[in-house]
Amino acid sequence: MNYLIRRCLISLGLIYVVTTLLFLALHIVPGDPAELLLSGGGVAPAPETVAELRDRLGLNDPLWKQYIDHLVRLAHGDLGTSFQDDHPVVEEVVRRLPRTLELILAAAVLALAIGLPLGALAAVRRGRATDRILSGFASFNLSVPVFVTGTILVLVFAQKLRWVPAGGYTPLATDPLQHLVFLLMPAFAISVGLAAVVFRMARAAVLDTLERDWVRTARAKGLSPRRVVVRHVVRNALTPVVTVLGLHMGSLLGGTVLVEYVFNWPGVSSLLVRAVEQRDYPEVLGVVLVVSFLFILLNLVVDLLYALLDPRVRHA
Amino acid sequence: MSPLLEVDDLVKHYPVRKGLFGARKVVRAVDGVSFTIGKGEVVGLVGESGSGKTTVGRAVLRLIEPTSGAVRFEGQDVLTADPATLRALRRRMQIVFQDPYGSLNPRKRVEDLIGEAYDIHGIAAGSERRDRVGELLRLVGLPAEHMRRFPHEFSGGQRQRIGIARAIALDPTFIVADEPVSALDVSIQGQVLNLLADLQERLGLAMLFISHDLSVIEYVSNRVIVMYLGRVMEIAPSRALYSRPRHPYTEALLSAAPVAEPGAKQKRIILKGDLPSRTDPPSGCVFRTRCPYAIADCAAVVPPLRSVGTDHQTACIREDIL
Amino acid sequence: MTSAFDLAFLRRIGWPLAAVCLILLVAVLAPLLAPHDPIRMDVVNRLGTPNWLHPLGQDEYGRDILSRLVYGARVSLSVALLSATIAACIGIVAGLIGGYFGGVSELLTLRVVDIVLCFPPMLLALLVVTMLGPGMETLTLVLSILFIPGFARVTYGEVLSTKNQEYVEATRALGAGSARILFGAILPNIVGPILVQFSLTVASAIVLESGLSFLGLGVVPPAPSWGLMIRGARGYMEQAPMGLLWPCLALVLTIWSINQLCDSFRDAVDPRSGGSTRGFWTNLRAVLGMSSRAAPSGAVAPEVVLAVEGLKTRIVTPTGVVRAVDDVSFQVRRGETVAVVGESGSGKSMTGLSIMGLLPQPAGRVIGGSVRLATKDGRIVELTDLDEPALRKIRGEQVAMIFQEPMTSLNPVHKVGTQIVEAIQAHRAMDNAAAQARAKALLEHVGIPDPARCLGEFPHQLSGGMRQRAMIAMALSCEPKLLIADEPTTALDVTIQAQILELLRALQREHPGSMSVMFVTHNLGVVAEMADRVLVMYAGQIVEEADVATIFARPRHPYTRGLLDSVPKPSHAADTDASARRRLATIPGTVPNLALDRVGCAFAPRCAMALDACRQGDPPLVDVGGGRRSRCLRWSEL
Repeated sequence: MNYLIRRCLISLGLIYVVTTLLFLALHIVPGDPAELLLSGGGVAPAPETVAELRDRLGLNDPLWKQYIDHLVRLAHGDLGTSFQDDHPVVEEVVRRLPRTLELILAAAVLALAIGLPLGALAAVRRGRATDRILSGFASFNLSVPVFVTGTILVLVFAQKLRWVPAGGYTPLATDPLQHLVFLLMPAFAISVGLAAVVFRMARAAVLDTLERDWVRTARAKGLSPRRVVVRHVVRNALTPVVTVLGLHMGSLLGGTVLVEYVFNWPGVSSLLVRAVEQRDYPEVLGVVLVVSFLFILLNLVVDLLYALLDPRVRHA
Repeated sequence: MSPLLEVDDLVKHYPVRKGLFGARKVVRAVDGVSFTIGKGEVVGLVGESGSGKTTVGRAVLRLIEPTSGAVRFEGQDVLTADPATLRALRRRMQIVFQDPYGSLNPRKRVEDLIGEAYDIHGIAAGSERRDRVGELLRLVGLPAEHMRRFPHEFSGGQRQRIGIARAIALDPTFIVADEPVSALDVSIQGQVLNLLADLQERLGLAMLFISHDLSVIEYVSNRVIVMYLGRVMEIAPSRALYSRPRHPYTEALLSAAPVAEPGAKQKRIILKGDLPSRTDPPSGCVFRTRCPYAIADCAAVVPPLRSVGTDHQTACIREDIL
Repeated sequence: MTSAFDLAFLRRIGWPLAAVCLILLVAVLAPLLAPHDPIRMDVVNRLGTPNWLHPLGQDEYGRDILSRLVYGARVSLSVALLSATIAACIGIVAGLIGGYFGGVSELLTLRVVDIVLCFPPMLLALLVVTMLGPGMETLTLVLSILFIPGFARVTYGEVLSTKNQEYVEATRALGAGSARILFGAILPNIVGPILVQFSLTVASAIVLESGLSFLGLGVVPPAPSWGLMIRGARGYMEQAPMGLLWPCLALVLTIWSINQLCDSFRDAVDPRSGGSTRGFWTNLRAVLGMSSRAAPSGAVAPEVVLAVEGLKTRIVTPTGVVRAVDDVSFQVRRGETVAVVGESGSGKSMTGLSIMGLLPQPAGRVIGGSVRLATKDGRIVELTDLDEPALRKIRGEQVAMIFQEPMTSLNPVHKVGTQIVEAIQAHRAMDNAAAQARAKALLEHVGIPDPARCLGEFPHQLSGGMRQRAMIAMALSCEPKLLIADEPTTALDVTIQAQILELLRALQREHPGSMSVMFVTHNLGVVAEMADRVLVMYAGQIVEEADVATIFARPRHPYTRGLLDSVPKPSHAADTDASARRRLATIPGTVPNLALDRVGCAFAPRCAMALDACRQGDPPLVDVGGGRRSRCLRWSEL
């Protein structure tokens, strides 16, 4: 219980720090932020445009006032308005966030479903052909960047075989089946690398656990091999696997940026890419803020999962 | 004559946080330990895990910083010494560790492991250093040619010899031996104990010999300190302690140790229960929760060491027992 | 491993290192290797197919694909190496300082690391790109910042674990200053993990760089970059799929080589992975061919519970085959306690595990001998003939086992009660409530003060003594005929050891004759207290067997005698004068390497009584009268 509260408080603290840092980001960079944002193509912007932007971003106020305003606006769920169309950023983000979450969840579930059993299998058959083939395949998959996987998937399954569409999105409510068809390729593209990570960790963790004394105790009790493996090996190996999954949460979120772009998946990440291309600072900031919150939240979930899996953490 | 080493009311507390906003608690690893060691004297420090014996050994050499108390070596205050003084002090006080595997840097050759002592103090270099290292190796019973080897090429007993050679390289007058034979097999343990005893005699070393093994302590020590839960229970000359322990804990400890003589033990005291928590030790005498002789008064005050014979002190308030 | 960079090390990381060097060479020599200017356009021949001038064809602007690939290596690797190097320098220093000095620097390092790690790397990169605009300088800056925490964390962790090593403390005790300790004692020992981190970082820098370039937010066109090439070729993948595949291949192969190098680094650095796996499998095959079973001689006497005859166990290692148990024969009678005593590597634990069929897999094999057990229902079962399902019915039910480390022998994630219930239900058809009740009764029986509470607790909540009691309760759950206790008190303090020994004695006293105990230990004091009969083991063999009083009074083997003499004995008497200390008798030399072939008596090299005959033939274990046996040719002279 204490652990839970402490972890939550730490996460809150981190959210506050992230908020502050993102506010400061624009001010840390030397020079006039407004000028900086406008000088995209190496051409000096017109003074009146700079003045207009300064006004719009509230850059003329003293720093502390800007900071307070920033916090107050955030507390009200206001992420500012987009440079492009004057829409509140938060609206767009809230509309797109569930789609990104869905993608992450689908990819994580796929990765666990593939990586965990195969990792355990490879560990139990250590050194034999099964293990060598699986391990070799995993180490190769680990080396394929997610956008390469995505692009190749599009080339093979959409362009050549024409089994699935190259990309796009249909809301679940409109057509559930079509929705899943669109989800399939991007989720798979992300999960390939992640499954390799899970596989390697699961293999290592199971190998390690197999040598533990309690496994010998379990066998000495006369338990069936199935029960020994499930309750005394895989159950214990879950802890390091979850830890690793948590460590890879960052690259998972980064992966969605590329995958959403490749497959035209209208999540927050593709919004981010569009915003960066157009140097739409409020929108970029809004998305980074929200995704960072999400990241901290996911890490919290991993930590709690960790405590759930290991009683020693709970009582520490 | 003033003693070589004086330890006065040594305390080491480790902070631990219990609960979220709960009070910061401390582990009382060492809680007011005082003793002295004379020149050339071997003092055994015996106790079970959690007694604080290792902490005492480290604190005496200031390898950890004690919370409070004083350590004087040859009249010089160790705990307040500035870096230069401390460096000079460390030429005269050395340590032999328990783990023959962990105590030698795996990436250094034996020559450099031992020779490092000379480098640090700028005593010898080049061929002189090599000669000295060779001599030390011979002294601990290893061929001098072995100095070109790495630690992993040696067995546990041989590594412990290398560790001893390193400790005596600077000609110290005092050595802390922290469980130096606990990790070794019985047949090897004897070799190392004999070596330590020989060197001690030959070099006139004073030694603080830390161990959990009562028979080993008896073999090497002139005097013995018995610790329990961070406190000293009894200090006595070896012979007096083993023939007539005056503290209930010492009595139980002696009686619990299995002896390699079938049928040797008639009556045996078996202590009830486990070691109490070190963050929340019992009031008064820390041993009272497991003591067969405990009375109500034991909970009231921390029993001071009282004299019960020549050089013999016990921290038990009951004068009517033992 | 003797040093980080010796020959054996280089051989182990062989081909990945060669591949990475090759790629580096291509990047360095790009101007010499590339047939064309990578940014010169040739719009007329856009998407041109491969020909002599353009071996890999031309891209959507007619630029030469091969030249762009070669120059692309330059861009990717320079960004990756530069940022990894910057990050390494800053991160390592921060980690060293934070880990070694602690205090404020530690707090600062850890907090900064935590905060940078709060941002998903890709997003932080995109944010900076928005502010500073794309380009190689921006990329290098962002990547450096992103990778600092990784280095700081790895270095910090390694320093923390290394600085508490006794060898570092030893250097400090010699009077060394901080600089000598940091750079002389700590840094050389953490180079391995830092190298691993460096190669990992280079790989992920390449991934990030190409990803950002792919989005058009990294390297600015027309500079050649693999990510940009993929981005460009994507639009034309239907017409020219090969234009897409070449940069993908280059990227994947580069990352793969670096990852492989990283893996080999890790294996070479990891102290646990000694020797080659190939050696292991060759040795294992050799052992599998050794198996030979001779039929046991004669019937088992009615009072015998366990009869072991000619047991041979081999442990396969990458460097050789260890003769862990070498022709061991003995019997355990009803209600008797037999102590198996020996030093580390004597084969005493392996004998117990061989009987139970619990040898480490796949390394451990019983290659010969017979193990016969008298079961509760009066049958004689040959355990070496049983398959796994049949053995399972024996374990726990007929023969139970307790181990040295009560902390690690219980599963930390399951409650104590659950683990005992599991042991009961493995052999008894009992519902959960009944099994819980039985578990509670068992815990009470072994002297646990609050058994109901103990059922619901996890192992780490109990003290060492209580955990060992719980282990004993678990072992007793099906009332086995034989209990194998493998160093059950070695990890415990002496006062707790006394409690556990007393408990074991009391349990045997309770129902005389019901349970036999095979007590494996190295402690002669424990032997003297617990055993009825003693087996002394050395180098995988039984060298002497006798009842406990006889063996301590008059050993008939030089090893037994040496062992008894090397134990410091309590004197209690006044004859010990501190100034004239007794010398301990010792056994010279060390235990033999059991992976090597041996001729003659295993103890001969350390034996003062050894004759030429001892060094020629393996002495047999002979009956020397009065139910005792000795494996010494000169037993009668002792």
